[in-house]
Amino acid sequence: MIDTALRREFEAALGADSVLTDPLQLRTYECDGLTGFREVPALVVLPRSTEEVAAAVSLCAKAGLPFVARGAGTGLSGGAVPVAQGVVISLARMRQVLDFDPDDRRMVLQPGVTNAEISRVAAPHGLYYAPDPSSQVVCTIGGNVAENSGGAHCVKYGFTVHHVTALRVVLPDGSVAELGGDAPESAGPDLRGLFIGSEGTLGIATEITVRLLRTPESVRTLVADFPTVEAAGEAVSGIMASGIVPAAVEMLDALAIEACEAAVNAGYSLDATAALVVELDGMEHECDEQFEKVVALCHEKGTTNVRIADTAEERALIWKGRKAAFAAVGRISPDYFVQDGVVPRTRLSEALSRIAAMSGAEGLRVANVFHAGDGNLHPLVLFDEQAGEAERAEKLAAEIAEMCVELGGSLSGEHGIGLDKACSMPEMFGETDLAVMRQLRAAFDPEGIANPGKVLPTPRLCGEAPGRYRPHPLEAAGVIERL
Amino acid sequence: MTEESPGTLRETTPPTDTSTDAESAQVPPPADESGTRAGEGPSRVRPSGLAEAADALATAAGERRTVLFEGAGTALNWGAPVAGTGLVLETSGLDRLISHAPEDWTVGVEAGMPLTRLQELLAPAGQWLPVDPPTGSRGATLGGLLACGDAGPRRLKYGGLADLVIGATLVLADGTVARTGGDVIKNVAGYDLVKLIAGSLGAFGLVARLNLRVHPLPAATTTLAVAVDDADRALSAARAVMRSPLEPVAIEWDGQQLLIRFQGTEESAAARGRLAPEVPGLEDARVLDAEAERAAWERLSGLVRGEDGETVLRAGTHPARLPALTRRLREVTEGTGVEAAVVSGVAQGLHTVVLRGGEASEHAACLTAWREAVHEAGGSVTLRRRRHGVDAAAASWGPAPPAVSVLRSLKRQFDPDDRCAPGRFAPWF
Ligand SMILES: Cc1cc2nc3c(=O)[nH]c(=O)nc-3n(C[C@H](O)[C@H](O)[C@H](O)COP(=O)(O)OP(=O)(O)OC[C@H]3O[C@@H](n4cnc5c(N)ncnc54)[C@H](O)[C@@H]3O)c2cc1C
Ligand SMILES: Cc1cc2nc3c(=O)[nH]c(=O)nc-3n(C[C@H](O)[C@H](O)[C@H](O)COP(=O)(O)OP(=O)(O)OC[C@H]3O[C@@H](n4cnc5c(N)ncnc54)[C@H](O)[C@@H]3O)c2cc1C
Repeated sequence: MIDTALRREFEAALGADSVLTDPLQLRTYECDGLTGFREVPALVVLPRSTEEVAAAVSLCAKAGLPFVARGAGTGLSGGAVPVAQGVVISLARMRQVLDFDPDDRRMVLQPGVTNAEISRVAAPHGLYYAPDPSSQVVCTIGGNVAENSGGAHCVKYGFTVHHVTALRVVLPDGSVAELGGDAPESAGPDLRGLFIGSEGTLGIATEITVRLLRTPESVRTLVADFPTVEAAGEAVSGIMASGIVPAAVEMLDALAIEACEAAVNAGYSLDATAALVVELDGMEHECDEQFEKVVALCHEKGTTNVRIADTAEERALIWKGRKAAFAAVGRISPDYFVQDGVVPRTRLSEALSRIAAMSGAEGLRVANVFHAGDGNLHPLVLFDEQAGEAERAEKLAAEIAEMCVELGGSLSGEHGIGLDKACSMPEMFGETDLAVMRQLRAAFDPEGIANPGKVLPTPRLCGEAPGRYRPHPLEAAGVIERL
Repeated sequence: MTEESPGTLRETTPPTDTSTDAESAQVPPPADESGTRAGEGPSRVRPSGLAEAADALATAAGERRTVLFEGAGTALNWGAPVAGTGLVLETSGLDRLISHAPEDWTVGVEAGMPLTRLQELLAPAGQWLPVDPPTGSRGATLGGLLACGDAGPRRLKYGGLADLVIGATLVLADGTVARTGGDVIKNVAGYDLVKLIAGSLGAFGLVARLNLRVHPLPAATTTLAVAVDDADRALSAARAVMRSPLEPVAIEWDGQQLLIRFQGTEESAAARGRLAPEVPGLEDARVLDAEAERAAWERLSGLVRGEDGETVLRAGTHPARLPALTRRLREVTEGTGVEAAVVSGVAQGLHTVVLRGGEASEHAACLTAWREAVHEAGGSVTLRRRRHGVDAAAASWGPAPPAVSVLRSLKRQFDPDDRCAPGRFAPWF
C-alpha cells in the first residue's frame, strides 16, 4: 500500500512534479496497446535520470511494492499494464540522445527516445538504426529493448538484440549495473543479451547504446499480386531459396489489402487474393541484379501484376500502406486483436488455411498481414465488442497462437508474451523449462517486484495450475526430447 | 520442409564402442595449469545422447564432483584455471545432426559437433553457418565456440555464434534438462538462456543441443590487402571502407597489413574489389588471388590462436581506442624481452594481443599493465592462453565488472554448489 508518508518519499526523491497521484491522471496509464487489460496504478512517477529511476526503484524495493516500467505504451501483449496497487515508472521524460559518435557508429540514448528519432538523428551522417517496428514513430528504444522488437526488415538485419551493445540498467533492488560493453564481445556470460527481451521483468534500462548501420546505397521495392495465398507463399519460398537475402518480404491477404486501401490508398490491387511486398537493399549493381531475379521468380510463381516503386515517394507509399495495416483494420471493424505468432516458413500456407477454418468456425473475420520472410504471422481478429464478441475473439486469437506452437513455431515473434500470453507459455515450454526461467528471473529479482505477472504463467492470473504439460510437437515427432 | 519430410537431411553417428562409464579412463589433466592435483586425475565420461549427458551430470551431482565440459579441448585454458576437476564430460559423442530444414534456414545439432563438420553438411544445400571456420584440424565444437563466445573476422557482418542460435537444450549442474528459444528464426517467447552460456566458459552448465539459423553460402569472396603499419591509419582506412557503399564483411589489421573482405555474387564481389582502391587509404590495396586469400586469413587465425609459450589476450573496446592501446602496448613491453603482436578487428574494436619471448614474469607484468589500460578505456579483457608460470604472477581477470552481483546470483541459482568449472571466473565468482 502507498500511504502518504511513502508518497512524500517519492516526491522528495523525484520532485513533486514527477509524482502523479490524481486518479484522473493515473487512469491514463491503466493499459497499453492491448486495451482489453486494464488496471489503475497506485502511483505514477516520471524520473528524468538514471539516478531518479534508481531512487524510485529503491523505494519500491524497500516497501516491497511492485513496479512496471513504461515507454510509449504501444506494447500489444499487455507488458506495461500496471500491477494493482503498484507503481508505474514512466520513462517519457528521459528523451535525450546522450552521445553520438558517427565514426564509431554508436549512439547512447535515454530509454524514452523513440525508435524513429534514432534514425532521424543519424541520417545526416549516412547512418540509420536497423530495427523498425511499425510503431517506430512512437514506441521507445527502452520498450524495444524490453520486447526485443523486430520489424519488417529483421529477416536480413535481425532484432533489437543484434543492434544494442550495452545497457545501463537499474536492477530491482535499486542498484545500477552495466551490461555488455563497447565492443561486440565482453568478458563473461552475455548479460546484455539476457536482459534484452525480458519484458521489464529483470529491471529498467536507463541508458542504451545502439550500433548504427550505413544507409544502403540502393533500395528496390515491389508489390506483386497473386491469385492465391499458396502461390504467394511459393514465391516467398522461391526467393528465400535463391540465395538472396531480401531486406523484407511482407504478405497481405485480401482483407488486409481492403483495410489498407481504405485507410491510405497505397495503390494495392483490390482484386488480388494476396500481395507480397518485397524489398532488396545494398550495393546498387548487386541490388539490381538480384531484383531482376526476384521479379522473374514472382512471374514464375504466377503473379498477376508486379508493381515496382520507381521513386522514393512511391516506395514510401507502399510502406505506408503496409505499416498502417493494424490501424487500418479499425476502418473495417469496430474492434480487433493483433495476434503475433511464428511458424516455420514452409508451413505458412498450412497455417493460413487453418486460420481460415478457425475463423469460419468462430464466425469472426481474420485479416492477415505478416512478415512472410521469417514466418511471423500477425492475424488480426476482427470483432465487435458491442455485439458481445470480445471473449470469442480473444479465444480465437489464443487458439491461433497455440496453433503456431503446434506447427513447430513460437507464441511470439516480436510483440512479446506480456500478460496476454503468459498463460499460453505451457503450450510451448515444459514445467522444467519454465522453472528454470523462474530461476533466472529470481537471480535478478529475488523479491519478484519487477513487472510481476508478465511472461511467466502464475496460477492466480491463469486461473489454473501452471505447467499443464503437453509434449511439444517436435517432441512427439521424436525430434527433440524432454527429460 | 519439416523435419519429417523426405529430403530432409538427417544423420546419426554410427554406434561407437566408446564407454560412457563415468570411471572409464584416467586421463591427463585438461589444462596445463588447471589446478588438478597430481595423482588425482579426473575421470572421463563421453555421453552419446542428451539422456546420458543428463544422467552423467545428475550422478556427478550426487557424488559432489566438480565437472569440466570438454569439446575439442582447444580452449580449455581460457579464463582462470579451473580449481580441480572431478569429472571431464566430453561432448565428442554428442555430435549428431538432428534436423536440417534448408527452406526454413534452420538446422538442429548436438553441441559436440565440430563446426567444420557442420559446414560440410550444410554446403550441399548451398548454406553455411556464417562463423569463420576455425581453419585447423583440431575440430573446435559448436558448444565450445558458444561457451567461448568466440567469433572470427566475419563477426562484423554476421555477429557471433550466439546471434545465430535460435534455441537450445541445456543440462544444468544438477542434471536438469531445460529448453530455451525454439526452432524458428524469429521468436521472443520467454528468456533467452543461450545468452547465459555464451561466454560462460563452462561455468553455467552444458549446452547439449543447438538450433541455429543458417545463411545462404555466398557465391564469391574477395579480399584486399594493403600495407599499413600504423594504428591511426588502419583505423581511418577501416572507417573509410565502412562509410563507403562496399559493405565489407571483415576488416582485420595485424600491425603490418589491413585485410578487407567482401562477398556477394561473383560479379559484385569482383566489382567491390575493383572499386575499393577508390576509398581513401586503400589506394595501394591489391586484390589477393584465391590461394593468397586463403593463406592470408589462415595466417591471421593462426596468429590469433597463438602457440605454446605465448600469452594471448582478447580485448573489446570502442574501435577508436585502437591507436592509444597499441601505443600503450608498446610502452608496457618496452625494455622487456617480450614482443607483442596485435590482430585487431579494427571496425569492431576487438583486439587480440599475443605476447611472445621473454620471461613468464614479464608476460605477467605486461598483461596486467595493458589490461589496466583497456579497463580504463572502458573495455574488458579475457585471458586466452598463457605462458607457463604466468598464473603465479598475474590475476586471470581484471577488475570485476559492475554487474558482478548479477553474475554471482546467477551462479547461485544455476550451480549453487559451484561444481561447473569452479574458479573459472575467480576472483569475480
Ligand atoms: C500499430 C502498432 C504496430 C506495432 N508494430 C510492431 C512491429 O512491427 N514490431 C514489433 O516488434 N512490435 C510492434 N509493435 C509493438 C510495440 O510497439 C513494441 O513492442 C514496442 O517495443 C513497445 O515500446 P513501448 O515504448 O511502447 O513500450 P511499452 O508498451 O511502454 O512497454 C512494453 C514493455 O516494455 C517494458 N519497458 C518499457 N520501457 C522499459 C525500459 N526502459 N526498461 C525495461 N522495460 C521497459 C514495459 O514494462 C513493458 O513490459 C506495434 C505496436 C503497435 C501499436
Ligand atoms: C576464425 C577462427 C579461427 C580459429 N581457428 C582455430 C583453429 O584453427 N583451431 C582451434 O583449435 N581453434 C581455433 N579457433 C578457436 C576456437 O574458437 C576455440 O578453440 C573453440 O571455440 C573451442 O572449442 P572446443 O570445442 O575446442 O572447446 P573446448 O576447448 O573443449 O572448451 C572451451 C570452453 O568451453 C567449455 N565448453 C565446451 N563445450 C561446452 C558445452 N557443450 N557446453 C558448455 N560449455 C562447454 C569448456 O568447459 C571450456 O571452458 C578459432 C576461432 C575462430 C573464430
